[in-house]
Amino acid sequence: MNIIYADNNATTRVAPEVRDAMMPYLDEDYFNPSSMYEPAQRTAHVMAEARKKIAGHLGVGEPTEILFTSCATESNNTAIFGAATANPSRKHVITTAVEHPAVLEVCKQLERTGYDVTFLDVDGDGNLHVDQFIRALRPDTLMVTIMHANNETGVIFPIEELSRLTKETDPSIIFHTDATQSVSKLPIDLDGTLTNVDLLSFSGHKLHAPKGVGALYVRRGTACRPFMIGGHQEQGRRGGTENVPYIVGMAKALDLAAENHDEEEDRIRAYRDRLEEAIEQQIPCVQVSGKNAARLPNTLNVSCHYVEGEGMLYQLSEYGICASSGSACTSGSLEPSHVLRALKIPFTAIHGSVRFSLSRYNSDEDVDRIIEVFPQVVSNLRRMSPYWDNEKNAPRPDANVLMQGNQK
Amino acid sequence: MAWEYSEKTKQLFMDAVHGKPGTHLGEIEDPDGLGEHGSIVCGDAMRFTFRVERNPDDPTKDVITDARYLTFGCTSAIAASEALCSLIEEGRYTPLQALKIQNKDIVEFLEGLPQQKVHCSVMGAEALEAAVFNWAQKRGVDLDELGVDLHTGEDDEGRIVCKCMSVSEPYLRRKIKELNLHTIEEITNAVKAGGACMSCHHTPGGLQDLLDEIWGTDGKALHILPADGFEEATPESLPISLSPYQFAKRIEKVMDEQVRPMLRHDGGDLEIVDIKDNLVYCRMKGACHGCASATRTLKMTVETTLKEAVDERVRVIEVGAGT
Repeated sequence: MNIIYADNNATTRVAPEVRDAMMPYLDEDYFNPSSMYEPAQRTAHVMAEARKKIAGHLGVGEPTEILFTSCATESNNTAIFGAATANPSRKHVITTAVEHPAVLEVCKQLERTGYDVTFLDVDGDGNLHVDQFIRALRPDTLMVTIMHANNETGVIFPIEELSRLTKETDPSIIFHTDATQSVSKLPIDLDGTLTNVDLLSFSGHKLHAPKGVGALYVRRGTACRPFMIGGHQEQGRRGGTENVPYIVGMAKALDLAAENHDEEEDRIRAYRDRLEEAIEQQIPCVQVSGKNAARLPNTLNVSCHYVEGEGMLYQLSEYGICASSGSACTSGSLEPSHVLRALKIPFTAIHGSVRFSLSRYNSDEDVDRIIEVFPQVVSNLRRMSPYWDNEKNAPRPDANVLMQGNQK
Repeated sequence: MAWEYSEKTKQLFMDAVHGKPGTHLGEIEDPDGLGEHGSIVCGDAMRFTFRVERNPDDPTKDVITDARYLTFGCTSAIAASEALCSLIEEGRYTPLQALKIQNKDIVEFLEGLPQQKVHCSVMGAEALEAAVFNWAQKRGVDLDELGVDLHTGEDDEGRIVCKCMSVSEPYLRRKIKELNLHTIEEITNAVKAGGACMSCHHTPGGLQDLLDEIWGTDGKALHILPADGFEEATPESLPISLSPYQFAKRIEKVMDEQVRPMLRHDGGDLEIVDIKDNLVYCRMKGACHGCASATRTLKMTVETTLKEAVDERVRVIEVGAGT
């Protein structure tokens, strides 16, 4: 059975053109770019070209401002620990409550070693309040690390504005953004509109390149210590033999994203909007997270009250539909999604959340199929739920009271 | 790392290796000038010799007829040595004229050297200086009297910290202490290290590490705003003499009495989002909001008004329309 892949915020398929671009470097061109001989010089040249292309796509003037890493998690660790190590006299960090664990856990680790971290709250729509951000800035603030777009809800943060305010308040505060979900989707111009951003992370596998390659943009002059040291690669800023085939793949993936960006974006947004509308119309008691905020065009996070996420995902996968959920059972840690909790979505709804995230490889038929299947999936579970009245197709009158009892 | 050498560099290297006629590998017996530069540590060492046609009346008019080198080093070191000898012989220079040859002439002769290899051209220039010094001694020429200043720099050999500008660790340590350099910026201004690709700033063993080692690390990393209060405050961050409450009240008063009427006249308005020390965060509203040049002019006007009426250290930061 063919699958309908709607989990692109988790990972994406490798584009066939990307796979083809990588093949020579997995085959005959296997040389270490640091070696002397001519074949290796060619490989080094290819890598330099890839770096230049990636820099171009991000509006970066100097290609060596792009460091290659193994993934966005490494880039985030490098950015935050690196900035902290380079500036030991400042001990305050500002971030948000909805960051990816690759940022949150690093910030929590800093807290354990004596740092003061402000985790900015978001409102019910998933938006940050600029007033609160301004209030958080302090004379001893080391850095701000705020993601560009949220992986669960798709909500976009105004990092152009936030980085400008940061630099106007105090130019020595470092501004980092985790752009893993936004690179290749939203415009990124690091020498233009995002000129106040010092560090930016992203990875290949969210943009149709393979898993195992990422990058960190480090603006010239930014004080940031290396995280992985050893060889002299990346000018001593990140040791380790470079992953040439995957770097080439990532550059190709960005080329592809740029080629048909606007048309693809319109198409994907249309799919998402159609799916969202159908779900809202056909299924009672649902809420879309981040509905009123600026969102990525491909993400739909919908919470269905009174049912549980894993049950929905299993049923969906019977039909070949791949999606994900913010429920505790699916998180691997028994904790429901910290992002949805930050949006103050009630527990009952968080457990019933499903995220559909689309890509250029989806189609109208995919959307039709999900619309056909999903309402049934939900109602199957509601039939079994103690909180649902099947005859009236509505929550039981005492449902909320019953649920309060379960909330900690 | 693989360098990209010019064709000329590669050609000169191969010619020298094969002893092609016209190359200058070798050592002159009983040389008129002998100079050595470099060391095993650096990975480049050169022994440079030349012969002159002596001028019976005036030694400063001796002309160099032959120049030879023995070089231990990489492709570019050997190519640079060839370049040096070719330049001297072709120019039919006197030793003093030959001193005018700089490493950039060698780089030009080679049609470019990768940045990380520029120090090889420096080696050539230094060996030449040493050889001229040697010749001057032999011929009784007083270089000081002639105003020629030679710099021997043998103590500055060691690990190269800044590859782009070919600055070594011993040299940096000497200069950091000599010139009392406390920040990376000061180092760059004084000796150029860290002024190109900047990757030597924060890499292990780089400029910041040297600074930390020499001066210690008690809170000097960021020198724009201090870590704890206003001990070493810049003029902008000095505490305003009014208390925060009084300051805020005065700002509001001036806003109401002077700023808002002015804005409302043009259909605009202004909201104070926050006040932190001397920073006043404002959001422009109404007709003026959204027009970039209007907001900029307005921000400056508001700032000037507040500076005059409340405190000259006030700064206005404009907040956008979003939440």
